[in-house]
Amino acid sequence: MFWLHIGTFLVLIQYRALFGERSRFIDSSEKRITRESVTGYVTPPTMVAALAIALGSGALGSMLGLGGGVVMVPLLVFLLGVPIHIAAGASIVAVVATSSASASVYVRDEVTNMRLGMFLELATTVGAVTGAGLMAGASEATLKTVFGVTLLYASAVMWHQMRSSGRSWTPADNDWVAERLRLGASYYDAARSETISYGVAQSLPTFVISYVAGVVSGLLGIGGGGIKVPAMNVVSGVPMKAAVATSNFMIGVTAAASALIYIRNGFCDSFITAPVVLGTLVGSFLGAKLALRVRGVVLKKVFVVVLLVLGLSMVASGVGLIWA
Amino acid sequence: MRRLEVLVSGVLRLGVALSGLLILVGLGLMAWSGDVSCPYGVLSLEWVLWGDPFLGPSHVLFLGFLVLVATPMVRVAASVVAYVMDGDWVYAAITGLVFAVLVAGMFMGLG
Repeated sequence: MFWLHIGTFLVLIQYRALFGERSRFIDSSEKRITRESVTGYVTPPTMVAALAIALGSGALGSMLGLGGGVVMVPLLVFLLGVPIHIAAGASIVAVVATSSASASVYVRDEVTNMRLGMFLELATTVGAVTGAGLMAGASEATLKTVFGVTLLYASAVMWHQMRSSGRSWTPADNDWVAERLRLGASYYDAARSETISYGVAQSLPTFVISYVAGVVSGLLGIGGGGIKVPAMNVVSGVPMKAAVATSNFMIGVTAAASALIYIRNGFCDSFITAPVVLGTLVGSFLGAKLALRVRGVVLKKVFVVVLLVLGLSMVASGVGLIWA
Repeated sequence: MRRLEVLVSGVLRLGVALSGLLILVGLGLMAWSGDVSCPYGVLSLEWVLWGDPFLGPSHVLFLGFLVLVATPMVRVAASVVAYVMDGDWVYAAITGLVFAVLVAGMFMGLG
């Protein structure tokens, strides 16, 4: 019964994304984004501010293993007054950039489970195309509310991770799909100096969750690693290190799928996207260096609060409680 | 497979560096020429590929974004080739489908 509901829901979203109303962004009467409102806010100081925001969120993101997009989009919206469609458009290109840059390093160390990544990418890319299609027709208010809820979810997940970080992990066996597709793998853990083998349990639920992660990524212009990693780790029993590396491997391809649609729809405003991409690239590079010096726990506590505040503000702004 | 991985890792790095460079050059051209005109709204595939004028400031900037978005696509295409060469048809089909979705995405969202 549960799966029937999920299935119906997924079919409905898919239908709406493919055949629903398009390009409300351009000719909607409710919140029309004109040439003036696009270039109106983009002055050189704004571009520098966008660069700074991207630098900060890129650094934070790579220190915490979270994509920077989840903080960057709300900051662009609240601090610079950038329309959320444009902020998401800049963010999705930045997500592709950071993912490609870090994947070029990760690929060499064989932690990434390529087969699992490819299998789940089937779900995330279809989801991403769906999400980007939905986003093109969504209003500013809807997107803000959905974004806010996602931020609150991310905050809760991070809080939960902090409390249960000492829990031991038990390997699972392959289920029938994983057996047939040979999804289980092994990698060499340098920190524990042993080879860790694992199977992939419940591959189909993880497949469905990956689809949802793809929709969220396409809808909001973020990487969606915060959904994929727990799905692989908790639902399918993939070790954390492999889950993170595999999720990162998938994010670039997922984001590329929706980025193409964003670009075609004109959501990637040059004056915002350019500084954001450059800032995120430099920021994530700096973050990787800084991560060795900063205490992770303190940073995570701060981040839980930041996500909570941003999430509440996004929801409040989305439902019209505060003006922004 | 291993040699391909190293190659792909190089392609990824090259793609990011090239797009970063294109974006910087685009911004520089805009500042230098004072031509900040930029298309807005739904973009035609022709504009994205050929620009108007070709390699005008905003077009160079957009090519930077495009190169960036194309790098993961190149990566998927390389995996398809690798699986076919290994004779792993199941995974060749899976990666092929992923690539098809990416290409479909490019033609979707026509506005």
